[in-house]
Amino acid sequence: MEEIIFGIGITALAGALATIAGAAEDTESDIGSQGDPNSQVQLAPQMGYVHRIFNKAIAGEPPAYGLWVALGAGLAWAFMAMQINPILAIVLGSALAVFVQGVYATTAYLGRTASLSKFEQPVYVDILKSMTTVTMAHAFVAIFATVTVCHLMNGALGHPFPLPLLGLIWGIALGAAGSATGNPFYGKERQYQNQAFGAGVPIAASGNIVRYAEAGQRNSIDNGFFSAKLGGPASGICFGLIVFFELWRTVVFEPVAAGWGAILVGVVVILIFAIIDRYIEVWARKTFGPYVAPEEASS
Amino acid sequence: MTALGGPKQTAGVQPPTAMGIVLSIVLIVIALALAYLLLQMAGLVALIGIIIGGALVAFGVHFVPVGGAPAAMGQSPGIATGVAMLAAGAGLAGLFAGAWAAPLGLAIAVASGAIGGGLLMAITCTMVNIIYVFGMGIPAASGKVAKDPITGDTFPEYKSQGTEGHGLPFVSWVGGVIGGALGGLGGTLIYLELLGVYQAQLPVILGATVEQIAPVAISLAGIFAVGMFLVNAVLAAYNITGTIEGPHDPKFKRFPRAIIASAVASAVAGIVALGLFQLLGVF
Repeated sequence: MEEIIFGIGITALAGALATIAGAAEDTESDIGSQGDPNSQVQLAPQMGYVHRIFNKAIAGEPPAYGLWVALGAGLAWAFMAMQINPILAIVLGSALAVFVQGVYATTAYLGRTASLSKFEQPVYVDILKSMTTVTMAHAFVAIFATVTVCHLMNGALGHPFPLPLLGLIWGIALGAAGSATGNPFYGKERQYQNQAFGAGVPIAASGNIVRYAEAGQRNSIDNGFFSAKLGGPASGICFGLIVFFELWRTVVFEPVAAGWGAILVGVVVILIFAIIDRYIEVWARKTFGPYVAPEEASS
Repeated sequence: MTALGGPKQTAGVQPPTAMGIVLSIVLIVIALALAYLLLQMAGLVALIGIIIGGALVAFGVHFVPVGGAPAAMGQSPGIATGVAMLAAGAGLAGLFAGAWAAPLGLAIAVASGAIGGGLLMAITCTMVNIIYVFGMGIPAASGKVAKDPITGDTFPEYKSQGTEGHGLPFVSWVGGVIGGALGGLGGTLIYLELLGVYQAQLPVILGATVEQIAPVAISLAGIFAVGMFLVNAVLAAYNITGTIEGPHDPKFKRFPRAIIASAVASAVAGIVALGLFQLLGVF
């Protein structure tokens, strides 16, 4: 019994850490335009809209976070093998992984932006200096929290995979959850804030991203501020729920019916999410109703 | 034919060529023969398991609703990320669950892997709809079918002007969960087959007990399973070319070609994984 209570505590802690990791990951990727909306940031100058948005997308979020978290976890693992305290080892490993992320962000921004020189898009050195450090800070939070989750899985809950492999797996899962949940909010609601709420962006408007803020030109820190209100927390909840339910069903229900208990509970949780999803879908159809074209478009 | 001389791209069925099928069969037979030569029946059974696992992964990827960049702008339905990336996220979460349940036996481990992958997709798809509905005020509308095959909801009247649809219809949600479950199941099967072979080989090679070699065997099997999962996910993504809404999308009918390709890729990669120690011995 004590073992199960201990396991539930670790599960709750891992879920909370994963929530923080997901929120930081999505905000980091939105500041760096690393999700799918990067295509619009790259397209805008080609359509004549020169901007001051940071763009470090040379890899998708899942493989990039797979690399950084695996690196952080691998280094932490090596430090722990050198008898360094686990907390310190995870901090050191994550800090070193963040330096790699910083190098990646710098070269990616310079490379992507320099390729747009023929469209008169400048490389802003002040943007490079101010945005890179902000993405590094967010990346540190995401990497540290995820490596800690992996350490809890391996050290406290006894998962057989070594820490670096867990880092790779959960880094990719973190990027997948963050990009899936956070990208539409950053892409549609922020980059195309000038388009009507409650409708998709017409394909003809592609590239016409919002470039001006309340005062002066918009930059990616403004975008991070916006993402942190909904896209980031939603991504955090998504990744937190994934980690929590994955661990909870195993820790609590695996002893039931020779292991089938955890599988049955997993099926029940999936069915509950199906009901929630269907409820939201029906609610949206009833509340928002069919699409109505804007007056200026229809007249 | 296109200007580059390649085959004409069509939205629906793109059957494999006769040459491709013959070449695939030859490569698979060679891999199976090598597996038998290296490890006798144990090798043959393990490689067949790996091939089935790889084919399941490739098949599963076709179910996952991925809208890519247009989905992030509400211009097309699906999840706003890459095909291989999302499938990898789900499948590897399944592998995590399956590997954890491995000591409980094959049936529980593969079932746990499937549930692990399905659970990730269920939560992710639900959160995607929450963002679309509560963050963007957009109801789901498929661009490929006029009616949801499961719920019967109609879509044309909900589709925004100038887009190919948006959001995540319920059929896509179900497709995502099935895709994640198949990915987790396939990945776990590959892992278990490799683990069985390494647990039999390593104690003899290193002169140690099964308990002593367990960390090495688990790590090696895990790394190869992750690698083979990514190979199959990327192969399937190439077959899909861009975005797919799920099982109701005409592109879904392309899956036989991906299954053949991934069976060959899994056979070739699998024989390298199975013959790892013999290969190391050669060098």
